[in-house]
Amino acid sequence: MRKMWVVIRREFVERVRTKWFIISTVLGPLLMVAFVAVPLIMARKGAQERVIGVIDATSTEFGRRLAASLDRAPPIKASWLPTPVAEIEQAADSLAVLIGAKVVDGFMIVSDEAVDDGKLEYRGSNVSSPRDMQILSTLVEEAVFTERLGRAGVDAALVRQAKIPLQLRTLKVAGARTTASSGEGSFILAYVIWLLLYMGILLYGVNVMGSVVEEKTSRIVEVLISSLKPFQLLAGKIIGVGGVGLFQFAIWGLCGAVLIDRRELVFRLLGESVPGGSTAAFPEVPLATVAVFLLYFLLGYFLYAAMFAAVGAMTSSEAEARQAANFVVMLLVLPSVLMIGILNDPDGTMAIALSIVPFTSPIAMPVRWAAAEVPATEIMSSLGALAAALLAVTWVASRIYRVGILAYGKRPGLRDLVRWVRTA
Amino acid sequence: MTPDNVVVLEGVTKRFATHTAVSDLSLVVPRGSIYGLLGPNGAGKTTTIRMILSIIVPDEGAITLFGATDSGRDVSGRIGYLPEERGLYRKMRVGDLLVFLAETKGITRGVARAEARRWLEQLGLGAWEHQKLDALSKGMQQKVQFISTVLHRPDLVILDEAFAGLDPVNAQVMKDTVVSLARSGTTVVFSTHVMEHAEKLCDAICIIARGRKIVDGRLADVRRGHGGRHVIVAVEQGVGSAERVLTDRALVAKADTYGQYAELEVAPGADPHRILEALLAAGSRVTRFEIAEPTLHKIFIDKVGADTASALANPGGDHA
Repeated sequence: MRKMWVVIRREFVERVRTKWFIISTVLGPLLMVAFVAVPLIMARKGAQERVIGVIDATSTEFGRRLAASLDRAPPIKASWLPTPVAEIEQAADSLAVLIGAKVVDGFMIVSDEAVDDGKLEYRGSNVSSPRDMQILSTLVEEAVFTERLGRAGVDAALVRQAKIPLQLRTLKVAGARTTASSGEGSFILAYVIWLLLYMGILLYGVNVMGSVVEEKTSRIVEVLISSLKPFQLLAGKIIGVGGVGLFQFAIWGLCGAVLIDRRELVFRLLGESVPGGSTAAFPEVPLATVAVFLLYFLLGYFLYAAMFAAVGAMTSSEAEARQAANFVVMLLVLPSVLMIGILNDPDGTMAIALSIVPFTSPIAMPVRWAAAEVPATEIMSSLGALAAALLAVTWVASRIYRVGILAYGKRPGLRDLVRWVRTA
Repeated sequence: MTPDNVVVLEGVTKRFATHTAVSDLSLVVPRGSIYGLLGPNGAGKTTTIRMILSIIVPDEGAITLFGATDSGRDVSGRIGYLPEERGLYRKMRVGDLLVFLAETKGITRGVARAEARRWLEQLGLGAWEHQKLDALSKGMQQKVQFISTVLHRPDLVILDEAFAGLDPVNAQVMKDTVVSLARSGTTVVFSTHVMEHAEKLCDAICIIARGRKIVDGRLADVRRGHGGRHVIVAVEQGVGSAERVLTDRALVAKADTYGQYAELEVAPGADPHRILEALLAAGSRVTRFEIAEPTLHKIFIDKVGADTASALANPGGDHA
């Protein structure tokens, strides 16, 4: 035990001292903020002015009303261009020239068909932007809708009232309690949890592998194994590197907590007005979520670190190890690829399966937990399966490790590995 | 209580998937001796050493260390080990590395730190304590590794291919170190495939080939036990010119010629002086004529056969 502690301390101290640790500790949150903030900023930036012409060939001047209602929507500036039916193509050609000169973004061609059959045409340089097209079609649909109701003799005041837009406020219910987190907030939380788990397990797992390979290639492992049991060395290494991960999370968690606590100040510094109540960008993080996160991080990390260590012991160079580790990395990538599926339907069959199967559960379960209510029985069976897999994998991995660290030359085949596990 | 024999192997066998590395090996290392484990490359020396250190476990047989059956790992605090392939953590600071390795031997931090400093000063590396190992030259790294082998004051030091890869100056330093360790009461076991090293240093030896023991015991006993009278001759024109005498089976039972000199086994009943006479009669200008005990080299070749020993006949320039 004392000797294992010596290994743990070496792995921890040597890592925390490196530039790599300091840089990743500082850059980690910045990257994460960038991951979350950049899409938001991009979305805001994308809302630049769109200049649109409305070629109105209707007999009812519907185009004038459409242009007016488009003009009222902030990003769009619309102008009404009454045109006889015969001159539509002529007007279209001259507008196309303006689009080419980037004076105009696009134009709408409205005829009597628009209200009767709902047929309109839009030509522009921004047709490939789904966001622009969605805004446009929503506004046009609304205008056509109003026009039809008016034609049917519905009172204008009634139409205006019917048009009051919907404001759906989403609040997450967790632990039978309504939290202050919005739906968007818990999505961000799930996203951050996924990123931390995936990066954490992968980076620190690969770190363990690198450490095994380093000891093997430098041959110092032979000296170490003459005074330490292979398992002491392996366990000390995994615990020490994992400690670095927890230490890094602790630093981030503390900074994050302070930041959330002082969010008004942060918003003021950023020159933003403080939105009423809690904000979407700062979800509430319940203690239970932190506990689930840490528990799954530790178990998942141990599971993958053991596999990475075995891979490291099988190979005799860093490059070879990285190649051989692809299989392990794939297991880790699987729940990440399917993450959107989990978030879209956290109680669906796929989400449940991924959060119970041991190799995907370390990432899938905490993500699910952040996104939805998870029944206690599922958490229990997930943890049970994970613990059982951890025991089995550690048993096999430590046997491969024991033989592998002293074996040089050709990489072992599957049959060799089976023999190693048997004879170790 | 310190027993007289530090290491005892009884009937030790180790098999790997494709071959038997060590077969039914028994040997005894007396306390305070310099013990040579000799044999060509691939003879099983490293496997034997690894079993003594419990890096690998023998399939059969028993290993006794310091008179008890505790495994090498249990008593690792009393053993210093320098493996054949040298290597350390290249990114660690020299001082921290020595402290870490000493701690794995059960030495407390404070003591290890002080001892490391003392040794570094002694070997002229005092200024490098806080430098990363990367910054050191290869020779300095070897010194650091040597310090890590002896820092915890072991009773038994095991050096695998102690002289491999050393230049003549460092080889001499290593020889002096082995002698001074032995003088201070430390038992030294070293393996080598260069018989000359063993001949100069060892109190006792064990020669192994293809995993089997060929001969072992005190060096003097091994020589005496080999029997036969031996003559070493050197001829000015080269021993090739004395071909006729050396192949005369009435005088010479067996001749190993090395160009500049030859080691001869005198035929039973023949008088060594008759060989000298025959050489002079044949017109050879004899520059050396010595009636000697057989060299380890000669013993080895006689026991194992020249093909196995070919690795020994050409030990390679860097091992000289």
